[in-house]
Amino acid sequence: MKNRHDKAIEVLEITKKLGRTIAVDAVSFDVIDGEFFGFLGPNGAGKTTLIRMLTTLLKPDSGGAIVAGCNVAKEPDTVRHRIGVVPQAMTSDLDLTGYENMNIYGKFYGIPRKERQERIKQLLDTVGLAARADELVAAYSGGMRRRLEIARVLVHRPEILFLDEPTIGLDPQSRHLIWEIIGKFRKRDSMTVFLTTHYMEEADLLCDRVAIIDSGKVIALGSPEDLKARIPGNDIVSLTIPDISSGIAGKIEDLPFVHKLDVQDNAVRVYVDSGAQNLPVLIEKVGEAGGKVMSATIQEQSLEDVFIHYTGKSIREEVKKVSFLVGAGVPQKWGR
Amino acid sequence: MTKLLAVIERDLKKFRRNPLVIAMSVLMPIVYLVIIGNSFQGKLKALPMAVVNLDSGPYAKRVIENLRAIEAGPDTFTIFNINDRKVAVEGVKNGKYKAALIIPPDFSKRVVLKSGPEAGLFLDNTDGISSGAIRNSVGSAFRFLGTDYVSVRERYDRVHMREINLYSKVDYYQSLVPGVVIMAIFLGTLTTGAFNLVMDRFLGIDESYLLTPLSKSDIVSGLIISGLLITTVIAVLILVLSMLITGIPFSRGIEQYISVLIVINLTTLGLLSMMFLIMGRINHPRIVGILSGFLNVILFFPSGAVYPVASFPGWLKAFAKINPEAYAVNALKAVLFKRAGLADISGDIGFLLVFTLIMLTSSIVTFKRTL
Ligand SMILES: Nc1ncnc2c1ncn2[C@@H]1O[C@H](COP(=O)(O)OP(=O)(O)OP(=O)(O)O)[C@@H](O)[C@H]1O
Ligand SMILES: [Mg+2]
Repeated sequence: MKNRHDKAIEVLEITKKLGRTIAVDAVSFDVIDGEFFGFLGPNGAGKTTLIRMLTTLLKPDSGGAIVAGCNVAKEPDTVRHRIGVVPQAMTSDLDLTGYENMNIYGKFYGIPRKERQERIKQLLDTVGLAARADELVAAYSGGMRRRLEIARVLVHRPEILFLDEPTIGLDPQSRHLIWEIIGKFRKRDSMTVFLTTHYMEEADLLCDRVAIIDSGKVIALGSPEDLKARIPGNDIVSLTIPDISSGIAGKIEDLPFVHKLDVQDNAVRVYVDSGAQNLPVLIEKVGEAGGKVMSATIQEQSLEDVFIHYTGKSIREEVKKVSFLVGAGVPQKWGR
Repeated sequence: MTKLLAVIERDLKKFRRNPLVIAMSVLMPIVYLVIIGNSFQGKLKALPMAVVNLDSGPYAKRVIENLRAIEAGPDTFTIFNINDRKVAVEGVKNGKYKAALIIPPDFSKRVVLKSGPEAGLFLDNTDGISSGAIRNSVGSAFRFLGTDYVSVRERYDRVHMREINLYSKVDYYQSLVPGVVIMAIFLGTLTTGAFNLVMDRFLGIDESYLLTPLSKSDIVSGLIISGLLITTVIAVLILVLSMLITGIPFSRGIEQYISVLIVINLTTLGLLSMMFLIMGRINHPRIVGILSGFLNVILFFPSGAVYPVASFPGWLKAFAKINPEAYAVNALKAVLFKRAGLADISGDIGFLLVFTLIMLTSSIVTFKRTL
């Protein structure tokens, strides 16, 4: 077993200026060993730049990071041995087969032949590419290429797996498959995973803790539940009240746990703290005011709402612009 | 070591998957040899010349015999016998003939009387190269008239020239072979080695390799070694093919084979390292395209492959002194045509060695292992 560290990643005041923009602005955070850590932010937030600094590809202007127990600036080679990185762009060799891609990679890490062959076989099985391992990657779909690339960086059994927007441009089915694969590997090898994404549901579903980054700064950090609980009115209660009067609406709004109210015909959306606990109180108040609640649903706020809360803008507006650029097999250069 | 070998393996595998590239790397220099060799050859051949002989005397007859001998031998011109001088001159004007030679009726008589015999040569002087060649050849057909009338004893105020071939005769076609081999090496070094780095950068896949524990020298030397293997094979193949095509005899001495291999390997290594130094930071193949034309002109033409270095103006001669291709051409010419051994080309080998070492170290030092 490799030597483990309490903190898989420690980042201190790391800063990088690219051209005229400060891509990463004095960012500090820790990732605990074995944790699934997510970095959530819109396009241009600085996610790729941050990952590149943590994975020895870019030198920070100031500040630094300790990754897998080593200072990135001082021992880049040891760090490279201990981490596996799937960059945002597709980076597998189109002129090589899936197996060859993995085999060459294993050789770059100096893994002995027998161990390498066994490991590759096992990994290809897990990502469901065993049957197509001897085909050129040029013949793979985007989702297959991604799965191969994830398998490829695990040949040397890294302690920490970095994934830069691993599901960008993939259809929901491929995306679920990739989530499943990441989960499997993580459990089997008890890896720390550092993932960047701009998909809320991805961060919500996978991550133990999430940092929200915007314009190079971390603006919030915590477990998804924490983050959602931290914003006022973290639940939305939708009520159907026939013939709702302004009196009823006013009564609801006066309640201490209600933050906001939207009325549309019979439908009322109430932004409340602790929706489940307070729903009976709500129904009672409506009854007192002479109304009748025909139906009620409670909906938790999503990370999307968290993002809007902290930045005042929606993450999705910016996402749509680029997603069509990402096609299978098309060479992409992201943030370069 | 495993890592270095893996870099080489990856590169060779990728090269093998592109058969078109392999075919073109071999074909292009050969086509180049055939086209250059046949389009502007060293000596001109078969230029059409009209001859109008109006004299039936013995001297005109000898001139015609000499002309026929030239036609049969070096074949500078092809003779067309014409009776009418007007038709002949008209033929030159409209481009049917490159020249018209007219021997007047009193030519032999004037030779005998020593009253200044004259013949007329009408040349198409818009074509300087052919008219010069014809003037010389025709002049030589008349030369006997001068020597016949000088006394048998040698005249000391006259310089006699006799061609002495030090080496077995090398025709123009054959003399191009070293240049063609160098051209093949240039093309090979341009499209392997550092170019693969440029392509990886362009496709964005370099990132995944920079993330592995490969060292700077693993990357640089690995790509250079695979480039060396590929280019050497191509260069040797082209050397053999062009020797067969132009009829250069194969030597029986093992030393010649070793010398040729050393020169080819060192030149390849030197150029590969130079390309690495130049292209180390380039990320777009289009820049390589532009560079290739430029580098080819500044390295190939001043190399002595098509025109002798000795005839260059001073500044160009000075450049040839630091041009690796000039040393390579020189060494290959010496081995192929003069049966030179290793000792004879040690100067060229020495330069190529120093050049390679300087380029290789600077390319490893200046190579940046970051994005
Ligand atoms: N080479 C560069 N030169 C100048 N500016 C750059 C360069 N690369 C990135 N940037 C800028 O740095 C900022 C952060 O870029 P980065 O690629 O880290 O964002 P990101 O969060 O990964 O975005 P995305 O979701 O689109 O991948 C952006 O404003 C970007 O324009
Ligand atoms: Mg990015």
